[in-house]
Amino acid sequence: MSTITNLAPDQASISRISNLRLMVGVTGLVLGLLAGIGLLSGGHATFNTSSLLTWGLPVSTYVFFVLTSTGLTFVASLAMVFGLKDFYPVAKRCVWGAVVTLVIGFISLGLEIGNPIRMLWVIPTNMAVTSPLWWMGLFYLTYAILLFWKFHLINQGDWSSQLSKLVGIASFVAVIFAHATLGSVFGMMAMRPFWYGPMVPVYFLITAFLSGLAFIMLFINLDYGVNQSNMSEGAARAMSRQLPAIFAIVLGLVIVFTIAKTMTGLWTNVPENKIVTQHIASSFLFQFELWIGMVLPFLLMLTAKRHEAKTQVVAGGLVIIALFIGRYEYVVGGQLVPMFKGAWADGLIDYTPSLTEIGIVVLAVSIGILLYAFGDKRLSLSDQPNA
Amino acid sequence: MTKWGMVIDLDKCTGCQACSTACQMENNRLPGENYQDVLYYTDRSQPTPKLVWFPRPCMHCEEPSCMHVCPTKATFKTEEGVVLVDWNKCIGCKYCMIACPYGVRFYTDEKPVIEPNVKDVFPGTGDLSWNPPYKGPQQDNAHGVGIQPHGVVSKCTFCYHKISKAPKGTSDLSNEDPALREYVPACVRTCAPTARYFGDLDNPNSEVSRLISDRDGARLLEHTGNKPQVYYLGRSAVVPGFKKS
Repeated sequence: MSTITNLAPDQASISRISNLRLMVGVTGLVLGLLAGIGLLSGGHATFNTSSLLTWGLPVSTYVFFVLTSTGLTFVASLAMVFGLKDFYPVAKRCVWGAVVTLVIGFISLGLEIGNPIRMLWVIPTNMAVTSPLWWMGLFYLTYAILLFWKFHLINQGDWSSQLSKLVGIASFVAVIFAHATLGSVFGMMAMRPFWYGPMVPVYFLITAFLSGLAFIMLFINLDYGVNQSNMSEGAARAMSRQLPAIFAIVLGLVIVFTIAKTMTGLWTNVPENKIVTQHIASSFLFQFELWIGMVLPFLLMLTAKRHEAKTQVVAGGLVIIALFIGRYEYVVGGQLVPMFKGAWADGLIDYTPSLTEIGIVVLAVSIGILLYAFGDKRLSLSDQPNA
Repeated sequence: MTKWGMVIDLDKCTGCQACSTACQMENNRLPGENYQDVLYYTDRSQPTPKLVWFPRPCMHCEEPSCMHVCPTKATFKTEEGVVLVDWNKCIGCKYCMIACPYGVRFYTDEKPVIEPNVKDVFPGTGDLSWNPPYKGPQQDNAHGVGIQPHGVVSKCTFCYHKISKAPKGTSDLSNEDPALREYVPACVRTCAPTARYFGDLDNPNSEVSRLISDRDGARLLEHTGNKPQVYYLGRSAVVPGFKKS
């Protein structure tokens, strides 16, 4: 701690947050590994999922983080694909964030799948092109390769060569396809009315963008000690001017989407939609998600304080929590009505994630935190192209 | 080419669960994970209440959504129309369980429905997830028959290990012909009131074809487009919508 006191006050707060992040990451890793031991000894029987409710917290966590990765790529693309140069100062951080969140998502899913290693040969050798999951795997793999490649290029200082631009555009296109097929994984399930619909990929697109923006609002401000005067002039301009406006617009759209989906669900007579929507809408989680997690940050973005780092940290953090709840409600909600079990199952399925499931999420997130911390220390994430 | 299918007469089903028990014995099923269940549905209220016993095996659909969503082609359809899972290819993503409108699939590694966990009493060795004292002689991972390995999805196979050995060109597999009894699916063979029939849906002279035609056989959840190869007979062949009690 003596080093902190010797530094300028702003540097001290940056270091404090950086140390805190490291501590959270290491603690999470230890707790997550403890849960991992449970998984090794008891297998997936330690999950609270069942044949009635098949996909639980680890899958919703996967959806949340890979869509966040999508969103962070969108934000990075504002500079690198669409030429909004103000976003260059945060672009490298966004790309690294996209890499990290993708890794978190893959870990969460990998530990949920029965035979993840087998995927390596049975997926490429069987070409199951009718499966949305197959396409999702293909596009996310392509996206992952391009994303790593893009980060490697900008890490070498190559921001604007033909190749670098091409890889940037290609990763943007790949992630559009990837998130759309992830949406289709749910949206194509006609037998599950709560999920079914052609708008799911669009819903995922908008919420993914919001997720990326919220991560930027929270983590970039934290990286600079919740003080925009610690940032470069360009970064501070992007964070205080354009970002709150874009964030508010996208958040507004998501609020409209959420209310529309809820109202439709409450009005319909289809039991799998109506009963589930009633169940979700009447829960504390949903009310928190809507009012505290979305409406409150939206209102904050309408005030003059939206430019300030503290406001952005609060708004970004609340939206992240809301989106995480939203993903969980969505993934679990589509399975709450027992599929064809007759009067044996005459209520909604009762599901609460087990300690192992929560541990997997903690493990994946803490690995992500440590990866991000590594990037922050060693990869010069504040770099930007020379003017 | 034979297209195996089943007909279930709901007017004859008494809900005795003999079919479920036979299936459990034949396929080493664990409690709560029956390939074949006799569900019951209650519908309407006084003064016109209704209770229906509803046997539910895998529907072995003509257009199985479970097969279409499988990212590894582990779920496949044989030339004779039987939907099976190749455990050597299954990665345990469970998307097929999500996509099956009839809820007939099970994941190997689930929390036990009752304690003690039978799998702990008879722990598995090698590839097997458990090792019951009695098990059928036919372990066939490529067709999803036998004791499941860890991390895979399993389901009713129409007793593939039996029907696949039936003489070619057989139109019906029933108890009536002693020479064919060994090939009859366990649930059909055990059904005391003869509510189940099994045969070739493509053969116009088979008993299943005649029953479907004469008694207007109905398939479940037609709106999903899965086109089951299990048909139901009787006035009760309609599944009421979900109600929360």
